[in-house]
Amino acid sequence: MGDAGVYPDWEAIYRDNVGWVYGMLFGKVGSRPDAEDLTAEVFLAALRPLRMSATVPEVRAYLVATSRSVLADHWRRTLGRELTTLHDELLDLKVPEEHVNAERAAEADRILSDLPENYRTILRLRFLDGRSLKEAAAEMGVTVGNAKVLQHRALRAAAKVAERIGV
Amino acid sequence: MSRVQRFVEKILRQQRIGRARVEQEADPELRTAILLRSARLGAGTVREEFVTSLHQRLAAELSEDTTPTTVITTRRRRFVQLTATAAASVGLGVAADHLVTGGAVAANPPPGGNDPQLAPDHGVWQTVADSSAMPEGRVLRFDLGTVTGFLRRANGKVAAVSGACTHLGCQLNLAPSRTQLNCPCHGASFAVTGAVLNHRLPITLPPLPEFEVREIDGVIQVLAPKES
Repeated sequence: MGDAGVYPDWEAIYRDNVGWVYGMLFGKVGSRPDAEDLTAEVFLAALRPLRMSATVPEVRAYLVATSRSVLADHWRRTLGRELTTLHDELLDLKVPEEHVNAERAAEADRILSDLPENYRTILRLRFLDGRSLKEAAAEMGVTVGNAKVLQHRALRAAAKVAERIGV
Repeated sequence: MSRVQRFVEKILRQQRIGRARVEQEADPELRTAILLRSARLGAGTVREEFVTSLHQRLAAELSEDTTPTTVITTRRRRFVQLTATAAASVGLGVAADHLVTGGAVAANPPPGGNDPQLAPDHGVWQTVADSSAMPEGRVLRFDLGTVTGFLRRANGKVAAVSGACTHLGCQLNLAPSRTQLNCPCHGASFAVTGAVLNHRLPITLPPLPEFEVREIDGVIQVLAPKES
């Protein structure tokens, strides 16, 4: 469907947009059940008032706006402050879900490459390869307790790098 | 385990985060954990089972009558509360079935030229300004706690519209020109008469509801609910 087109019905809107809305929210909360809850909330809130004559970019803009308030509400409820927010630049994305994932992978690479070897390894094993703490400890040849401390320090160091390079 | 570590473990185990009391100094670490987790290959790809089940749920919701359902899921209830809060700040006269069906207000705009009057169930006449403070052409904001609105005097007569955007209930600002009301949330604008001027929302935006207004003994009063 071209950007100038309109959707034939709500199901087309849903099918065409559920993937990137979920991907965008996942990138902001980092957890599947939360991202699914928020995606459901976005579509439940957005679909009913949508005009069917709305164009594809208008629908996207509206879904981003709805996602922004749903995400803000989620963080206020859970953490009491907005840990992550959605910005308008997301509107420019052509293929948002792949884009977000690839962009995140590049950002993660930049952060990890700036860390000492053992920090990089523990974060890679746990966050990118999905190993348990026990498995990660065994692979690194350290105790579980050591791995836990290492992960904690590594994440702190990674956060400093992220702040410094502005990701 | 510290609170930060518990939060991070939930991300790693892909659990709901739920209520968490983590000190704000740890925010950069929490954000980095989210970033690293969402950089995993295939992260952010939606599950087909979820797409199917949400589709069914949406189909049920959208085909629903505007009367409230008796079986309400937890998530739905929260959604209803959110909507009700927004709607409540929009208009006290909105019927109860509108309050409990998300978006019904926007989905079923009143017929043109027949703006709804705010006629609250438990309204009392409340003074919002002295008559002397409202010369011809003046627009004045008022805030009664339960509702906000804008007074105007045109052709000698005082009228008032709701001060909450009919989209999501954000509080409107009076533009410096004092002829229009702007919404800070998504940029909608209304005339001081309540008519919709401009917006980029892909929905049919209803006009601002009007209050019942009277001028008595040198004061201006609107019919609105009392703060409980």
